[in-house]
Amino acid sequence: MTRSGRRDVLRVCSLLLALVVVAAVASRADAQGGRSEAPAGQMTWAVHFSLAPTFFDPAETPGIITPFLVLYALHDGLVKPMPGKPQAGSLAESWSVSADGLVYEFVLRPGVKFHNGDPVTTEDVKFSFDRYKGAGATIMKARMAAVEVVDQQRIRFRLKQPWADFMTFFGTPATGAAWIVPKKYVEQVGDEGFKKAPVGAGPYRFVAFKPGVELILEAHEDYWRKTPAVKTLVLRHIPDESTRLAALKRGEVDVAYSITGPLAEEVKRSPGLALAPTYFTFTTWLVSTDKWDSKSPWHDRRVRRAANLAIDRAGINNAVYLGLSKLAHSFIPQGMEYFWAPPPYLFDAKAAKRLLVEAGYPNGFDAGDLTGDTIYGVAIGEPVANYLQQVGIRVRLRPMERVAFFKEYGEKKLSGVIFSGSGAPGNAPTRLEQYAVTGGRYTYGAYPDVDGLFTEQVNEMNPRVRQQILHKMQQLIHEKVMFGPVIEPAFLNGVGPRLEVHGLGLVANHAYSAPYEDLRLRKP
Amino acid sequence: MNGSRAAVLTAAGRLRSFRSEGFPTIPMSILGGLLFVAIFANVLAPHDPEVGSLGDRFRPPVWQQGGSEKFLLGTDHLGRDVLSRLIFGARVSIVVGFTAVLVAGVLGTGLGILSGYLGGWVDQVIMRITDTWLALPALTFAIFLAAVVGPSEMNIVIILGSVYWTRYARVIRGEVLSLKERDFVRLAIVAGCSKRTIMKRHILPNVLNSAIVLGTLMLGVVVVTEAALSFLGVGVPPPKPAWGLMLADGKKGMMAGYWWLTVLPGCCIMFMVLSANLLGDWLRVKLDPQLRQL
Amino acid sequence: MKRYIVKRVGFAAISLVLLSVTIFLLVRLTGDPTVLLVEPGASQADMEAIRKQFGLDRPLWVQYGHFVSSLVRGDLGHSFYYRTPVLELYLSRLPSSLLLASAAMAFSLVIGIPTGIIAAVRVNQWWDSAGKVFALLGLSLPSFWVGLLLILFFSVYLGWLPSSGSGTAAHLLMPAFALGWYFAAAHMRLTRSSMLDVLGSEYVKLARLKGLPEALVIGKHAFKNALIPVLTLAGINLVIMVNVAVVVETVFAWPGIGRLLYEGIAFRDFPVVQATVILNGAMVVVVSLLVDILYAVIDPRIRFAR
Repeated sequence: MTRSGRRDVLRVCSLLLALVVVAAVASRADAQGGRSEAPAGQMTWAVHFSLAPTFFDPAETPGIITPFLVLYALHDGLVKPMPGKPQAGSLAESWSVSADGLVYEFVLRPGVKFHNGDPVTTEDVKFSFDRYKGAGATIMKARMAAVEVVDQQRIRFRLKQPWADFMTFFGTPATGAAWIVPKKYVEQVGDEGFKKAPVGAGPYRFVAFKPGVELILEAHEDYWRKTPAVKTLVLRHIPDESTRLAALKRGEVDVAYSITGPLAEEVKRSPGLALAPTYFTFTTWLVSTDKWDSKSPWHDRRVRRAANLAIDRAGINNAVYLGLSKLAHSFIPQGMEYFWAPPPYLFDAKAAKRLLVEAGYPNGFDAGDLTGDTIYGVAIGEPVANYLQQVGIRVRLRPMERVAFFKEYGEKKLSGVIFSGSGAPGNAPTRLEQYAVTGGRYTYGAYPDVDGLFTEQVNEMNPRVRQQILHKMQQLIHEKVMFGPVIEPAFLNGVGPRLEVHGLGLVANHAYSAPYEDLRLRKP
Repeated sequence: MNGSRAAVLTAAGRLRSFRSEGFPTIPMSILGGLLFVAIFANVLAPHDPEVGSLGDRFRPPVWQQGGSEKFLLGTDHLGRDVLSRLIFGARVSIVVGFTAVLVAGVLGTGLGILSGYLGGWVDQVIMRITDTWLALPALTFAIFLAAVVGPSEMNIVIILGSVYWTRYARVIRGEVLSLKERDFVRLAIVAGCSKRTIMKRHILPNVLNSAIVLGTLMLGVVVVTEAALSFLGVGVPPPKPAWGLMLADGKKGMMAGYWWLTVLPGCCIMFMVLSANLLGDWLRVKLDPQLRQL
Repeated sequence: MKRYIVKRVGFAAISLVLLSVTIFLLVRLTGDPTVLLVEPGASQADMEAIRKQFGLDRPLWVQYGHFVSSLVRGDLGHSFYYRTPVLELYLSRLPSSLLLASAAMAFSLVIGIPTGIIAAVRVNQWWDSAGKVFALLGLSLPSFWVGLLLILFFSVYLGWLPSSGSGTAAHLLMPAFALGWYFAAAHMRLTRSSMLDVLGSEYVKLARLKGLPEALVIGKHAFKNALIPVLTLAGINLVIMVNVAVVVETVFAWPGIGRLLYEGIAFRDFPVVQATVILNGAMVVVVSLLVDILYAVIDPRIRFAR
């Protein structure tokens, strides 16, 4: 070989060698890029309500967002809201609707496993839907003609009639019907056994639960989306707000949920802590259970209007939420589809008193109990009671623990005035259905004309016509002063210095830290 | 040296060392003052205790920066005047406290007399019931009852009365047992007086002393229990001001430095209970040295 | 001796029976107990099932029999909030309550007994007054207020101690102090009067006449005898502490039985409330019985007194 020839060979060889090296490095990086390092560390939350074992089972979601705090960790759904995507396919890789709007077909993501190793199959999807008995179950099952398992990956939901709101009910936290539990395991241990040791397909698996104290979860490394960065999650129940703040200040917890008023200001003032508000479709309002009784003062529309005029919503917003909430003039959240904006209620105590005098109550009247939950019923309900008192409407505050409150509310056991609230996702019709229309879970009485309009819009496929009907409904409700809307609260949370990604506000309309697999601790 | 030491430790020395001789002016004036405040609350309180304006919330007492003369002792989270709430809270504490002690006293003294004088199976039945109810821890039992019947001012009085009557019954019964052996009672029996007359005209007046002493001692306990019930949320329902409730509300502001919401109501409870205890101690020594064992 | 024990056990048994009757009747007096025993919001069918299960459609005395037999078997009902047997919940929280009560008891004895003795012996006028003030305050200040003040001072202003929860010794300090102060005062008082009684007794007079050194008289003879009633009272006080700790546990978020009761009420979880009251009461009855027997063993005079 000539000298130049040898140089050529050397050049080619070194080029080849370089290519090999690059390829090797690249392939190693590729192998690592799919799965990041092992999960490490612990994140702790101070939770303001007591976690009930019913929250571990998606079949019993009661129509409030509370259980989704746990569901996003333990379980996964066919479709669920994710950052930037209100309806993201999770366990479902894709889905489609038939041309006639009757059949929704979901294709499962292959290779996904539950925490106990069982594969996620369409049998589990059908099983989960069949056993679902939480909010919206009656409506969904009434409209469902059949749930057909096509094969291991594909499943079809066949409706009796086209239903525009199906995905709203199914694919959002309006219901828990799309969250999948393992059929074999549930049948093996039973419903009660499942609540004691739940198994799901979510990014974290159940480790331990001390009732009333804390819930401990550990990363499920084979979660399909990614391996969670944080190894252990601890959800600690600390019912008292100042105790939550104290725990946050001392570094005993990383996130403290629900901090209001002067304590929220304290968070802002403290170095190392930050206030992270989240927003979701959440309104609070007053409703009287005995306005249907002609002998009750609330029967008179003027009295109800007076109550509305007596409340200084902006004042409450500033005092409790540092001005970060929105004022509510409708019981339906502003962000919801088909929302109609009513003319705002202005704060006018004098006008309120005048109306009361007109209605025949110059010295006010005794309005019985104002029942609400221990969080909002107290934080907002107490100032509301204060304002009502100022015009002579005397109420006694009766806070009840949240789960107990919603149960008694739903079973129509409460009397007097209720301080109600709902953060359940959905759209205007779902809210109307639950609270304002006969047969609704929390409806304490309704008007026939409003009922009539509701039936009309249910089957209406034309969105513009539907919107007209729904707006008319809300107008009627406003004119009849069916409710006393107060505030759309922001959910204020305190965050400690250890967190890089705390997950608050990542998923739209979700109050709590999510998605759990995206959370990160700061590198020390 | 031994002699003087011994002298100090005799019975008389014991009594003298127990409490100073004089009339307990300070406790009496505190209790009297609280009674006065409770009766004239409407006139004394500068503001309505149940209503406030959010704009005035969390004002500190007048002597601190940010305080105002309008609200001498500051305001709470709803802008309600703390001083007015303390004044009306006195009314709740006094009314509930005195009434509950009265209920417990009447019931307990009555049953104690019956039990001690009649003896026999009546005595046994009443004593066993007393034992049981003494076994039920008062606070836990009161909480249980409040949860079952629902809180309201009247209910709280009944609950407290029914929890504490047993303390009376025990002590009064003991008194009656020793009274039974006394001459004037024996004479009355010989003279043919009916049991009812004896109990009413001879026994009752003589146990009243003990009942009164016990009453003052129980007052402190009852007031603290009522405060505990309010603190736990099963006492007098809001927005009626009760000192225990003010403590519960005040806890929220502690971390933000609003000390007056916890310190002031607690001081009121402390002064009332302290006065009741001091008065009770003095009465006990004055009226009936035998009750030292209480 | 045996007669005494048998008598006492008999009385304790009667007390327990009466306790169960009391709770049983109280629950039924306030209306249909089914409502209290099922989850709030159960359907009519559920209520009927519970009625049949508990035999609530049968005569009262049959129901009572069923109630007692379940109690004896250890079935105290199921918490509807937590879905676990109440006895399990109670037992899981009991250690925390006992820890708190023991710490408070230790504090109350360590402070109460020496101060009581010193006050009785009147070593020092200043000490005596200080002791009296301490005792008076302890008996007059509500324990939960003391707790709040401690948090305000040591947690908020000084930042030295954690304000709530359990887990380390630092967590235990403030709740134990708040709970123990009242009992320290009570123990101080009792030690003092007991000591005074003993010091005035014939026995001590004789020892003095014999010319024994004062320190020996006080330290050896008086002290031991004076301590007996105090220690026996301390036993029953331990149980009382577990019960009275309700408010201290709430203030400090201490995970004990008091908190369990409070949560039971908040959640309208009636089986928890009922069972906690019964178990607490039973604990008191049993411990009183043991204390009475112990007392009688130590001091023979007691056996023949009643």
